[in-house]
Amino acid sequence: MINVKKLPPIPAKRREDMPNSKLGITFKEWKATRPNKHKWRNIRWGVLLFFNFLFWASFAFDIGILEGSLSGSRFIGIYLMDPYNALQEMFIGNRTGYFGMLTMNFFIGFFVILMFYFLLGGRTFCSWLCPYHFLAENAEKLHNYLVKKKKIKEHNYSIGIKYIFWGGFLLLAFITKNLVFENLNPVGIISRALIYGPGLLLLWVVVLLLFEIVYSKRFWCRYVFPIGVTYSAIGKLSPMAVKFDLSKCGHCRDCQDVCLVPHELWFVKRGEATKEVHFAGADCTRCGLCVDVCYGDALEFTVKGFEKLL
Amino acid sequence: MEKSKSDINRRQFLKNGAVAVAALGAVGVGVNYLKHLNEKSDKILLRPPGAVDEDDFIYACIKCGLCVQICPIEAVKLAGISDGLSYGTPYIDTRKQACDFSCDAMQCVETCPTAALDFLPFKKAGENALLEYQKENPTPGPDYNPFIVQSLAMKSNTKMGIAVTNHETCLARNGKSFMGVPREDGFEGVYRSPNPKRKERKASLVNDHVFDRELCDLCVTECPIGDTAIILEEKTRGNGEKIWRPIVLDGCTGCGVCEMVCPTTPSSIFIEKLETA
Repeated sequence: MINVKKLPPIPAKRREDMPNSKLGITFKEWKATRPNKHKWRNIRWGVLLFFNFLFWASFAFDIGILEGSLSGSRFIGIYLMDPYNALQEMFIGNRTGYFGMLTMNFFIGFFVILMFYFLLGGRTFCSWLCPYHFLAENAEKLHNYLVKKKKIKEHNYSIGIKYIFWGGFLLLAFITKNLVFENLNPVGIISRALIYGPGLLLLWVVVLLLFEIVYSKRFWCRYVFPIGVTYSAIGKLSPMAVKFDLSKCGHCRDCQDVCLVPHELWFVKRGEATKEVHFAGADCTRCGLCVDVCYGDALEFTVKGFEKLL
Repeated sequence: MEKSKSDINRRQFLKNGAVAVAALGAVGVGVNYLKHLNEKSDKILLRPPGAVDEDDFIYACIKCGLCVQICPIEAVKLAGISDGLSYGTPYIDTRKQACDFSCDAMQCVETCPTAALDFLPFKKAGENALLEYQKENPTPGPDYNPFIVQSLAMKSNTKMGIAVTNHETCLARNGKSFMGVPREDGFEGVYRSPNPKRKERKASLVNDHVFDRELCDLCVTECPIGDTAIILEEKTRGNGEKIWRPIVLDGCTGCGVCEMVCPTTPSSIFIEKLETA
């Protein structure tokens, strides 16, 4: 195995001028030969809009396929529970003795979600279902544009604080005997607004979006959102992942530019990868943007252990 | 000395973390304040059937709205931001649309995944009633319909609140008759009349029913539970004058149909939430 860490850095001012070691042309020239793909993004947005439409249509037309909202629902008769809400409920229930009253459907819903997102892995919920993500993903583009035009400055924080929020909201729920986070949760607010009609609390969502546009990129999703942290934990050891093949990578880092959680693609930087094959970590939303953008097919969706079976 | 990358990261984490903890603290204070406001305010939301104590209900409800979706007459609604911490939880406004058990008992309770609306007591009540019915009718005749028995037992187990009458405005108490439709034009509330002659399968508009009563007794005749819940009491005073008044009994479930059909404005009979110990 090559010792990738000792590769010398390539003296190039812009990433585009860096030479592609295999073809002997610059990335700019190479990129021009590759078409712009949006395959996974289109599929993903389709799925996201379809399921949110199904939530709305189930109530509006009384077809009852996907009832409830994103905080708890029933999909053709199978209950599904928001795992973070379920956790809070169980914590408070332990204190007040309510735990014993919880229904079988509650636990079925909880475990179905656990299994489902274990199989899909990471924060799949975020990019494939969350209506707030859909707004924030487009807001992120606007934010990037504003940063590029130097209208605003980028503000980054420590990603670790999301764990503080995760534990903190759980503790708050336990102390106040209230689902504190659910009252602030833009996902639930948008979902309920879609299904049961809009309310004033949508202003909170607007405030969050504005903050994300003009101040800090994806602030809520990256640094606060505890449901996402829960999903990360569930899908950490998932078989489904984005695979990185070092031998195909040209280190242009365009994938990190489009990535919604760039810290999970740390290994694409020249000299950072320690193995021939890396898998994107638990915060990866399986959005497929990097797979679409990669010019050398170094990044791909994969099911771990699947090749071995074949 | 140059700081290492991990050192900078740790410093940033501590700095941001302190802000995060402060923010969480602020949220906690805010929640406590809202809780305080909720306790102080006299606006009490009437919960759907089977709701656990309000203290438990507020966290047990995950605001999914399944009960709203399953209700065939749209009696269950979600509270808005003006209700503070109760935002997103279900309630019933009985004057606008009462719960008339159109779903044939306890669909909203059965659908609730977190037992914020607790189905277990209803299930037990239904089963017990069935057992008793089978004991009484060992040989099922042609009229044998256990479903009605079970359904009635489940309905009767409901305790959303209790009806309270206001004798000053009550038409019956004042000996007045009533003729016409109970509510104002354009009123959209619906219910299924318990009158066996109508044999309604589906709920119809309140104002589709035209009444002609010598003495107003709508709350008594339209009650889906029947004479275990409300009766019209006749009383003769010392001076020989006869008076009538509706008397609410223990069987009242607080469903609110009486409040919805009461022709006076404001309603002379209304649902009060029970204080639970």
